[in-house]
Amino acid sequence: MTGTREAEVARSFVTLASSLANGYDVVELLDELTTDCARLLDVASAGLLLADARGVLHIMAASSEQTRQLEVFQLQRDEGPCLECYRDGTAVSVANLDEATDRWPQFAPAARSMGFASVHALPMRLRDNVLGALGLFGTEVGALNDDDLALGQALADVASVALVQDKAAADKAIVNEQLQTALTSRVTLEQAKGVLAQLGALEMTQAFTVLRNYARDHNLRLTEVAQAVVARSLPAQQVLDHARSRGSSRA
Amino acid sequence: MSGLDQLRRDLGAAMSGADSALAAADRLCQACVELLEVDGAAVSLVHAGSSQGTFGSSGELSRRLDALQFTFGEGPCLDSVRDRTPVLVADLADPTEQRWPAFRGAVLESGINAVFALPVAIETSPIGALDLFCNRSGALTAQSMSGGLLAAELAALPLLDLMAAGVAWDSAGQSDHGWQQLASLARVEVYQATGMIMAALDISPTDALVRLRAHAFAYGMTASEAAWAVVERRLSLDSDDWRSEPGQPSAGSR
Repeated sequence: MTGTREAEVARSFVTLASSLANGYDVVELLDELTTDCARLLDVASAGLLLADARGVLHIMAASSEQTRQLEVFQLQRDEGPCLECYRDGTAVSVANLDEATDRWPQFAPAARSMGFASVHALPMRLRDNVLGALGLFGTEVGALNDDDLALGQALADVASVALVQDKAAADKAIVNEQLQTALTSRVTLEQAKGVLAQLGALEMTQAFTVLRNYARDHNLRLTEVAQAVVARSLPAQQVLDHARSRGSSRA
Repeated sequence: MSGLDQLRRDLGAAMSGADSALAAADRLCQACVELLEVDGAAVSLVHAGSSQGTFGSSGELSRRLDALQFTFGEGPCLDSVRDRTPVLVADLADPTEQRWPAFRGAVLESGINAVFALPVAIETSPIGALDLFCNRSGALTAQSMSGGLLAAELAALPLLDLMAAGVAWDSAGQSDHGWQQLASLARVEVYQATGMIMAALDISPTDALVRLRAHAFAYGMTASEAAWAVVERRLSLDSDDWRSEPGQPSAGSR
């Protein structure tokens, strides 16, 4: 198992590194990051919050629906490990959520009721800036081992670098602008998924696949395709037709 | 708590308890004057396809000055919406300032020497602007600027509801803290449902969001609950409920 895991870790970093080198789509990259975390670390799921220019956090990616809800819950109730992690810029580790009810009277019971028993939050850092937080949710009581924590932080660090494309960006304003672009991309992507889901009678995950395949097959970035669908410069029907022809050519 | 956190809280609380979208917009503008070291504030709606104009103000002068931009067809608020960026005029009397000759003259005559227009946007679409007026020339302090941007964010709520003209201002829904309502609009399911409504009704993202929120109000749901119902296809988008312009009798045709 260890050998397999090492190979998977290596593959994750290769994917992240190659997307850095080749131009990449931020939304897709962060989606992959949370999926990678859930698969590689000893946690059930992962979610990622990013801050906008005013320090308000927004959900950017989540490996599961439950995690997404928990991240949103923290934002709405203004309490929880990811918020603390972002505010302090340091990792937050809670091995047993049952013992965290005083700390987070609303979050802890909500997380427990969704079947989670432990939580860890790692800061997304770029030099002195904290960009957001990566939440790791486990279904078993227990702290993450040091290797997993280090690997999670390494993945978060690589993603932070990827997020701020201009490596020389020392200016907080430029960093903020690029984060805002990432957040806006997320909105557009979800809208485009909705358009395709409605028109093609698809589930949201199918709509995402259709969109991503269209982008890959045409050598376009996912965000570009999503923007074109929302702006109607690319007819949604064309994207759906492509998916259909792709499917039939495989069959 | 930092000064900005306190500002955020105070601005958010300013709109609660208002009995209409118009009253909420007024209260937000009054809060700007109390909290941001400005002498007047106004909110205007500038969205293609909707009625344009001034919808909230801290007082009569601010309302009149803001409305002048629509009379003259020029002004920082219109530029701010068009360019999706703040338009900051620290010294309107500066002779090199020639962008809005008619508007500038009228404003200076009223004793206002600085104007700051901040765009109000919903999701990715600009829908209006918040105008801040100062008697004295000079830039906004960093704190006032940050507070102004927060107020511009909050201003989206009453503008959104004004776009759905005729929808009753739901006092239960509106009693929530303004930031919570904004948070309920900034959710993945809301974006997805917006996309579905766009495709079903062939309308823009902003109009789709207006319909979603209007529908949520009409059925006593939060925007997020209505969005889930759309995404899970428990709410049909084929009904006249969705087709009709919000607040107007059902037209029954596309």
